[in-house]
Amino acid sequence: MNTMTALKAIYTKEMLSYFRSPIAYFVIAVFLLGTGYFFTYNIFLTGVGTMDSTLQNMGILLLTIVPVLTMRIFSAEYNARTMELLMTLPVKTWQVVMGKYLGAVTIFLLMTVATWINLIPLYLYGNPQTLNIISGYIGFILLGMTCIAIGQFFSALTENQIVAALITIPVLLGFWFVGHLQQLQSSMMLRDLVAHLSFALHFADFIRGLLRSDGVIFFLAVIASALTLNTSYLQLRR
Amino acid sequence: MIELQNVVKRYGSKTIIHNISFDVKKGEIVGFLGPNGAGKTTTMRMIAGFTEATSGTVKVAGFDMASQRDLAATRLGYLPESPPLYDILDVTSYLTFVARAKGVPTARIQQNLDRVISAFRLEAVTTKECYKLSKGYRQRVGLAQALLGEPDVLLLDEPTAGLDPGQIQETREVIRNFGRDHAVLISTHILPEVTLICQRVAIINGGKILAVDSPEGLQRAADQSNGVLLDAGGDRQALEQSLRSVDGVLDIIIHPHPVRAGVFSIECRVQNDVGVEGRIARAATSVSELYRLERRQPTLENVFLSYIDHDSGKSKSVEHKEAA
Repeated sequence: MNTMTALKAIYTKEMLSYFRSPIAYFVIAVFLLGTGYFFTYNIFLTGVGTMDSTLQNMGILLLTIVPVLTMRIFSAEYNARTMELLMTLPVKTWQVVMGKYLGAVTIFLLMTVATWINLIPLYLYGNPQTLNIISGYIGFILLGMTCIAIGQFFSALTENQIVAALITIPVLLGFWFVGHLQQLQSSMMLRDLVAHLSFALHFADFIRGLLRSDGVIFFLAVIASALTLNTSYLQLRR
Repeated sequence: MIELQNVVKRYGSKTIIHNISFDVKKGEIVGFLGPNGAGKTTTMRMIAGFTEATSGTVKVAGFDMASQRDLAATRLGYLPESPPLYDILDVTSYLTFVARAKGVPTARIQQNLDRVISAFRLEAVTTKECYKLSKGYRQRVGLAQALLGEPDVLLLDEPTAGLDPGQIQETREVIRNFGRDHAVLISTHILPEVTLICQRVAIINGGKILAVDSPEGLQRAADQSNGVLLDAGGDRQALEQSLRSVDGVLDIIIHPHPVRAGVFSIECRVQNDVGVEGRIARAATSVSELYRLERRQPTLENVFLSYIDHDSGKSKSVEHKEAA
């Protein structure tokens, strides 16, 4: 069968499920409320018309929102015994993983696009640096896609959605804060390694307008690894 | 269309399925009969490709499930033990999803949907979300999704579970019609079900195929497990002697009634001939007081026992492929 047909079927089903349950609305609403709060707070507190601090805050907010979005991806399928259907349809395992991943990424992109409303007052009353904003958003999207890939993998490991979320949150926080360990390392190699693993440090580069290839490659590599692990794990369960 | 050869399934050190082999040909409905926990669902899952066999080969429509699962899956309709419904979706969206995932061309989806919706009388619930459906409707939606995409092979794990008698009959009719030019394997623990719709029956217990037999053979085995139970008072010796002399009684077991003093509970193993209950009743009343008499219906357990008994005795004349 056509590769795209199967992938599209899974994707469409995911999108229907998101919008017929409260999850998508809840996640988007909480994220937008949080972002709106940080945006106004940062602008009025500093009086500086940039997105820098707001993007930084959005990154941290993402670490707690993504697990809520991803916890159900596979756990709910195990629970409803629909995994048995999914794994016996003429659909390849990677297509199931990709279809579901793209579904979650779509929700994430929708909420990202919705935050652009903050740019209107910024451009009306300030003089922001467009390139920094573009680079910051590219970083934010890469960060979000990475968090989703990790969350989706953990969702495949357990039937329990809460457990899936509870594993994902510390892992994402770990990747975020691992950069702080830099100060504790004496060896140059370890400092480098820790810096390379840190979501926060890579993301900070993007916010500063530094669109560096190692940041892009790092996020893409983590996404690819998580999705590959996810697919292999489901294969192994057979 | 379905072929199992020396299939073994192990989980860790525990062997669930011991070296089973059987096949289902086109135009044939085969019943997979066994008590709960016999390995029916595990075997169905291996044929469907949900789990892989530890060793041995499983082939569906000529494709090996280990290496060509995707090709086999396009020819397969599968109803798992619990109907795999997405509660949040309505019935039409759900069936559309399954049809798309099975690769039914967009132009033919509606026609496919109409066919299964009318076959399982789902017209009244097409716009309802699956979580609102009754157990019977859930089962029928599960059956409907299995028939989408015109599969050559149909695997149904306890297809009539949760249906009322009318629906059971309708569902059997659909399966029987489908079985005329397709290969169907249904698993069940309901004895009459297989004798009604199957051409052959594979009997499984403890992860081993005990026999592959015709429904008539199964009926014979069921008849052998016939019995008459009675409660009677009086002299034990006279009672035993009198009952043993009845024509058609093969064996009797007497033990004291658990509650009533001076009364015996007697189990007679009998030949399947008409009127044996009457002869037993007359024999019992001639020497004692008869309190209760009941013909025991053949149960699945007794049928199994009869196969196992037979098996440990002389070799059976059925197509028996159990290996060591």
